[in-house]
Amino acid sequence: MEPVIKIRDLTKEFKVLNHREGLKGSMMDLFSRDYKTVRAVDHISMDVEEGEIVGYLGPNGAGKSTTIKMMTGVLQPSSGEILVGGTIPYKNRSRNAQGIGVVFGQRSQLWWALPLIESFRLLKDIYQIPDEKYNEMLELYQSLVNIKPLLHKPVRQMSLGQRTLSDILAAFLHDPKIVYLDEPTIGLDVSMKSKIRTLIQALNEKKHTTVILTTHDMGDVDALCRRIVIIDHGKLLYDDDISNLKTLFGSYRTLKIRTGGDLASKAREIEKMFPEFAVKDDEEWISVLVDEERAKVMKVLHELEETMTIKDMQLEEIATEDVIRKIYERK
Amino acid sequence: MERKTIAFYWKIYRRIMIQDIKSKMSYRADFIISTFGMVATNIAGFISFWILFQNFPSVNGWGYYEMLFLYGFSLISITPVQCLFDNNWSLRINVYSGDFIKYCFRPINLFFYYQSEIFDVKGLGQLFFGIGTLIYAWYKLSLPVTLLAVCKTVVFLTTASLIMISMQNAAAATCFWIQNSFFVLDLAFRFKDYAKYPMTIFSPVFRFIFTFLIPIAFIAYYPSLVILRPGEVPLLSWLSPFIGCLFFWLSYKLWMFGAMNYSGTGS
Repeated sequence: MEPVIKIRDLTKEFKVLNHREGLKGSMMDLFSRDYKTVRAVDHISMDVEEGEIVGYLGPNGAGKSTTIKMMTGVLQPSSGEILVGGTIPYKNRSRNAQGIGVVFGQRSQLWWALPLIESFRLLKDIYQIPDEKYNEMLELYQSLVNIKPLLHKPVRQMSLGQRTLSDILAAFLHDPKIVYLDEPTIGLDVSMKSKIRTLIQALNEKKHTTVILTTHDMGDVDALCRRIVIIDHGKLLYDDDISNLKTLFGSYRTLKIRTGGDLASKAREIEKMFPEFAVKDDEEWISVLVDEERAKVMKVLHELEETMTIKDMQLEEIATEDVIRKIYERK
Repeated sequence: MERKTIAFYWKIYRRIMIQDIKSKMSYRADFIISTFGMVATNIAGFISFWILFQNFPSVNGWGYYEMLFLYGFSLISITPVQCLFDNNWSLRINVYSGDFIKYCFRPINLFFYYQSEIFDVKGLGQLFFGIGTLIYAWYKLSLPVTLLAVCKTVVFLTTASLIMISMQNAAAATCFWIQNSFFVLDLAFRFKDYAKYPMTIFSPVFRFIFTFLIPIAFIAYYPSLVILRPGEVPLLSWLSPFIGCLFFWLSYKLWMFGAMNYSGTGS
């Protein structure tokens, strides 16, 4: 099947004035023609299949927004190819817009003064959604999240969580092929975050909507994405299954144990037993970072049990966040 | 996808307008105070006009009622720009903060979508005030009330509005290229104050500027001549409807050009 989004060697360059320092420098800048070229996106290629949720990650200023802007047709690429649903976005902005939904974490696209239901009706007119589909969608929304109490509330009076929720619902309303979500859970409390994740997942499953998710919250990634794409300095660093990500730096797991006696001295003992693993201790736990390619966690535990009494134990997977941080810091 | 017709856009506009008025009404104090402010502004404008004429019986051969006609005419012609294109005033802030990008993702005309967001009801007070003034002056000047005269008035009022809108669009669009474009917009809006005087009072240099560079002479003077002094209508008056359309089209193109090349801020 044709991918929904097809990107080949996509590059975007910006011309930036070389700024000089100080007031005198600023004056000279007025007449300066000294530009440098900054490559915000550097030869990126990827395919996104229909119905995928792709986590698009990278540190601040990595080029994520620029890529999204090119996918949505707001920016024209400097070179390379981009096809969204078979059309070139910046050449057919209007047609492309009909097939996508966009949510920016902090910028509501709803009519500020209007009650939510009026915003929905306007969107129904703008996207020319047939009555039947529109009603079907509202029913679906009602079954997923209880929207009735929100419908007659002006967007301006909503809490940030309610507004984000409304924005996401609005983005899915015309049943777009692709929805771009830019930090949808930023600034939200834990329960709202999980509500929004559940909603996105449900809509993706029910409508087979492709979702491109940019976020700095690894909770979002763990809950929603099977595939992640990481970029930095405009270059693609990683594009694969999230499960492979964790094996990128070996398959680490953290074994935490609690023993009788002084934890610090016990930790030294363990360090001597397993010099190849990092051992840390705090007031409660001794943590051993086990590289599973060298020794199985169960074997380590077994050996420990023979030399000391273990009162309690925990096993922790390495967090996505730790792996991503390692990738960012690797360069 | 089918082409979007005027009926399609009208349907959307009407819906937004009704909702916007409704929500504004719900802020009762805000609505009453701003309506009161609008009335006060208009009365103050009229009083200063009246005082002027207590001291000078005529301005360069233009009598009190003729000037009143011009005054009413300019009031009506700036109503559309105030009611329908008020969002131009926020364009600068939207562009600067990056919020403008949210308007770029809808499958409808960007200019329409942006301007449709706000309908400023307050401008309507000015419209009624202008109409009143115009009718009063019309009556006092004992101008003929014929269908032709009314049609002419409507056509030339539309022309004048188009010019006013064009100037504001063009001025607002400068924010796509310069950081602090408020003064450009403010300047354009202030120029309208000169519109209510007959161009003959200005020196030839300013007359040229106000006719060809900053076309405020088309807001009231040239169009009014057709009704007021049918004997001395210059060619420019008859051309003004076309000039109005041309300027509007040009300003729209400029606005859209800026908007389409907008790349937003980082997020």
